[in-house]
Amino acid sequence: MSGTLSSLNTALSALRYNRVAMDVASHNIANVATEGYNRRRVDGESMGAPTVPARWSTYEGAGGGVRTSAIVRMNDVLLDNRVRTEHSSLSYLQLRATALARMESGVGEPGDAGVAAAMADFRSSWQDLGNDPGGNAARGQVLARAESLAGALSAQAANVSAEMTTQRLTLQGTVSEVGTVAKELAATNRAISTAALDGVDVSDLADQRDVLGLRLAELTGGVGLLQPDGTMNVSVAGVDLVAGSTAGTLRVATGVTASGAPDGQPVTFAIDTGATSTTLTADVRGEVGASADLLNTTLPAYAAGLAAVARDLADTVNAAHAAGYDLDGNTGAAFFSYDPIDPAGTLTVAVTARQVAASTLPGGVLDGSNADVIGTAGTPEASYQRLVNGFGTEVASAQRLVRTQSLLTTQVDSAREQLSGVNLDEETVAMLTAQRAYEAAARVMSVMDSVLDTLINRTGIG
Amino acid sequence: MVMIRVTQNMVTGRSLTSLQAGLDRLAQTQEKLSTGKNLNRPSDSPTDATTSMKIRVQLAETQQHVRNAQNGLGWLDVTDSTLSGMADNLRRVSELALQGANASITGSTSTALATEVAQIREGLLAQANTTYLDRPIFGGVTAGTQAFDASGAYVGADAPVQRSVADGVKVRIDVSGTTVVGPNGDNLFDDLAALESALRLGDKAGIQAGIAAVTERQRAVSDAQAAVGASYNRADAAERKGQDALVTLRSALSEVEDTDLPKAMVDLQMHEVAYQAALASTARVMQPSLVDFLR
Repeated sequence: MSGTLSSLNTALSALRYNRVAMDVASHNIANVATEGYNRRRVDGESMGAPTVPARWSTYEGAGGGVRTSAIVRMNDVLLDNRVRTEHSSLSYLQLRATALARMESGVGEPGDAGVAAAMADFRSSWQDLGNDPGGNAARGQVLARAESLAGALSAQAANVSAEMTTQRLTLQGTVSEVGTVAKELAATNRAISTAALDGVDVSDLADQRDVLGLRLAELTGGVGLLQPDGTMNVSVAGVDLVAGSTAGTLRVATGVTASGAPDGQPVTFAIDTGATSTTLTADVRGEVGASADLLNTTLPAYAAGLAAVARDLADTVNAAHAAGYDLDGNTGAAFFSYDPIDPAGTLTVAVTARQVAASTLPGGVLDGSNADVIGTAGTPEASYQRLVNGFGTEVASAQRLVRTQSLLTTQVDSAREQLSGVNLDEETVAMLTAQRAYEAAARVMSVMDSVLDTLINRTGIG
Repeated sequence: MVMIRVTQNMVTGRSLTSLQAGLDRLAQTQEKLSTGKNLNRPSDSPTDATTSMKIRVQLAETQQHVRNAQNGLGWLDVTDSTLSGMADNLRRVSELALQGANASITGSTSTALATEVAQIREGLLAQANTTYLDRPIFGGVTAGTQAFDASGAYVGADAPVQRSVADGVKVRIDVSGTTVVGPNGDNLFDDLAALESALRLGDKAGIQAGIAAVTERQRAVSDAQAAVGASYNRADAAERKGQDALVTLRSALSEVEDTDLPKAMVDLQMHEVAYQAALASTARVMQPSLVDFLR
């Protein structure tokens, strides 16, 4: 036989349980828009007979009420991993596509103001000179057009190097953010392991841990690995950046000096943990990796292509020019001069109007056939077209990849949101259920009260 | 995609994404309309961008060829009319020489004939020094202002003056002074000087020789004129072909680069409707919640 007052205790347990349920619903509703929040669910269990009954004893109760067995944080570790992977790819591609699109707008092709147009004008001016080899106007025009072509080439070269400067600064900013986030994650890890030992609910810390882990993945492509004690280790390119409560420092080992200038070497990274420093050999992904790839491969390739076009143009024109004679009957001097390190940026016209060698005949005669030859010599147009085509294809492909990756990321995010997101209707229903249950439990109490009142105050009184 | 649970955040997120996508499509169509170009950067279509750049190179080349041909036609025009004038003068000389060869002509008449021949020689010398844009048309590539000096000796630099009128096609637009009047020491002006003195002296044999020489020169001039005519025809044909090619190239360029306006307008209309629908549906989906229906 259970005790007389046991029903009161059962009602009390219901009151307690339902208050917890309402608290959790209210917590969920409060955090409906919080970044990285995973909804909680209350798991209740009924209290009944002891699971391991004592020998020879019988349990005669009807059940002892309810208790809160756990407050579950609704998440899926595998899904969280997938989210980190996809976000890392997306941020890599987005940074790349943005930088390429920015640079592309400086190319100005196809159009009337780009290098191709300047090149066509330059060619025409030679033929005009061929038509009028003695004319000062025609000679002046050749020089002016040559200068504007050199200007167009050096503007593009400047555009590339400006983008490289931007990327170096971006890289430094991103790397320092990696340091901050890694420290925060290590601190959160420490808090989690301490709290877990104390038996405190670590759900809110776990939310924070996942947000930081996701951010690190976006920045570096770092792989997060959950440990049995609830902490998260993050390794970048196979090297531990955060291990438990210690955070390493990601730094740019070569390629960029402290002041953001290039040091002539490709960009590489190292992770310092305490006194040990490990150079990263595998590719870093995320935003850091995107900047590094742009600085190591994409932008130098375009700069080299542009330099080849400028060098090709200058050498072809110079060779043809040297085969001719100027207005004073002298052999043509070098028409263009440039610094071999940076032909596109330093291309300059090195002759005066009288020194333009339009003639194939010596003796200062007014022959224009060499000008005609120079007007059609070589194929810098074709190599420039190939360069622009290649770059355009690269930009288009980067943008296409971003679109595909966005879809994939949205899909994965929404799969996680399905599991972890807060649905207000659901919470309202949970709240109402708890409210009704609470009211009913309170009712049970007052019924018990009146039953006991009858028993105690009215029974046996004449 | 199978939805097990839908949350308010998902609805909000997806609405935002689709609104963004709609606005992006609108902006792209609007860019095409406002710039009038389908190709605003190489990545819009790398292949078309290359085609467009190739067409632009061809366009510039063809424009230049047309300009070259027009320049050459001017030079050839002047050469042709100069040669006609010279032929007229030579005809007059041969008339005068025939008169002088007549046995009855003597004394003052003969002197008058000789004077006129001398005058015509001066005229021919001036014609042989005709310039086009400050360059003597029979002087080849000379940097000087004259093809023949006062004595009638050739002082030009004999080399062809050419114009490229199409890819790899060059037309010679000048006539060498020496082919028209003959080599130095034995040229038209020497013949006329000899004829003049023969007329002055009444040297009938000399006059006969002069008549033969002038006939020879007339032939040389008309040969030169024929050559000029042929060059003119080539340059003219090339110019017209170039002009035709320009029209074709421009329309090809427009085909590649320019916006198809009716299509872009229809696209704009469609994207606008889609965007408005997205806005309206978002406004309706985001408002209600169970809370509205509880009291």
